[in-house]
Amino acid sequence: MTTDHPPRVHHITGAPPEFWYRDLASCLQATFGSVLLRAGHDPLEVLGTAWQFLYRPGEVRSEEFYFPTRYEGDLGRGIAPHHPLTSAWRTPDDPADPLAGLRAALDADRLVIAAVDNHHLPFRPAYRDVHAAHLVTVFGLDEHRGLVHVADATPPAFRGAVPLEAFLAAWDSANPSDVQDAFFSDSRIGRRWLDVRVGGPYPDTTPARLAAVLRADAELFTTGKADGPDGAAGLAGLARFTEELVDRSRAGDPAAIRDLYPFGWGMQAQASLHGELLRRLGAAWRLPVLAGAGRAVEAVAHAWTGVRMTGAHGRDDPAAAAGGLARHTAVLRRRYAEAVEAVHEALDALPVPA
Amino acid sequence: MVELAAHRNNRAASRMHTTGAGGFNVWRNSFPVEHLPPGGSEVEVGGVPFSFPPVGEGYDNVRCDGQFVEVPAGRYDWIHLLAAAERRAEDTVELHYADGSVDTEWLRVSDFWSAPAWFGELPAYRTPVMHYPYHVQPGIGAHLWAQRVPVPRRTALAGLRLPRNIAVHVFAATVQEPPPGTAGLPATRREEDGRDH
Repeated sequence: MTTDHPPRVHHITGAPPEFWYRDLASCLQATFGSVLLRAGHDPLEVLGTAWQFLYRPGEVRSEEFYFPTRYEGDLGRGIAPHHPLTSAWRTPDDPADPLAGLRAALDADRLVIAAVDNHHLPFRPAYRDVHAAHLVTVFGLDEHRGLVHVADATPPAFRGAVPLEAFLAAWDSANPSDVQDAFFSDSRIGRRWLDVRVGGPYPDTTPARLAAVLRADAELFTTGKADGPDGAAGLAGLARFTEELVDRSRAGDPAAIRDLYPFGWGMQAQASLHGELLRRLGAAWRLPVLAGAGRAVEAVAHAWTGVRMTGAHGRDDPAAAAGGLARHTAVLRRRYAEAVEAVHEALDALPVPA
Repeated sequence: MVELAAHRNNRAASRMHTTGAGGFNVWRNSFPVEHLPPGGSEVEVGGVPFSFPPVGEGYDNVRCDGQFVEVPAGRYDWIHLLAAAERRAEDTVELHYADGSVDTEWLRVSDFWSAPAWFGELPAYRTPVMHYPYHVQPGIGAHLWAQRVPVPRRTALAGLRLPRNIAVHVFAATVQEPPPGTAGLPATRREEDGRDH
């Protein structure tokens, strides 16, 4: 099969994308953050508005950007369910012309978020060393010179051109199992890219608007079911997840710990961003109770550290790690309960919906 | 200064040509010895003296697992720590007092991996590179933070029990006495208060 596309240059208009990064967020939030910044939106306000718990047994993938969503794989809506942000995974329609979709998106002045294997990207620390699934933002394609322009806010942070060959190798990698990265390898990249639609209009973040979304999410925490139609949701879902994690670890099941690291990252990132946003708004609006609720939600994010790291270090002997996981998941559940209570308290200081 | 030698159980720093010897985090990243103070030297961070651990020689820090660390008997206002975490972490330490009292206080430590001081720590040391098992990585810094834990009780401290949290690493500790004239109530006065100590 041949292609009729002459070598061309495809590039978004204007400046390359800005970096957006938080230490507890992953490449998922960082890449969407860059897209939102370019569209004129504050990533923290968009990505930090929602705070939920959702666990979908059997679905967790060994990828840094895994995030459980009840919206049929729509990661954009999953991480920002209270905003018009959406996304869809795409793969090339024509294997002989795998870049067609990227060209079309860039020609339409839209950033592309591409899945890659760090092993093949010269700017990643894992280059020629470790296989690991990651996301980067693509903002240009110069087929004439054989270059792809990518941005990656994750340290060491890179924005520039990489050889097309390297990009294609990273984008088409089998991402084979790698003992150096048990959590983000063994997951085929498969030339996937995220077709992101920022959508709009974006609502202003006002006390009334925040009260409405806090109320909705708080209700999900209290009404969520351990075996609901979307998965294990809310505090009941958290209880199911933590109990199964400890029980499976105690039984020596390595899959329990393998899934914990990527799954927990999504929940940790979301809690950290939500907590930061509530603290910021609480200070701006002179509502100490809201800022305090934000800090309580951040404590959830910090409790995830104990759970995730205990699991990560115990991956070779899950049964031995079970005791530590039991202790840290107990703390995690307390932090969630305290934070939900703190959000309820903050709601008393926010406007009641008409 | 508080002696930690008996509790060290992790090698956080490595040398340029043997980066694989280090293993601060699960990815076996490590601090570059070449960009840290000499092991065993006395350093000062924020006006507080510390005995810097023996980096490059073996175990150089305490990965927290509930160890009980004795302090020189005395009254203190603060416990100062050189610490770093594998991702942002907060957990509790137990302060054990000579009179048998035990209180928990928070220990909050920011991530060592190119992260900000989320809990308001002083950046004690920031290296220009990070050690990976098989290479030296420019552009990613390793952070060692100066954090402190308050000692609220106005009575002699005997020691502290570190959290059982594998993410938290302590490299050095120094206890700070109260300023002169602020040592709190003497023991006789406490007894007159009728409090059971």
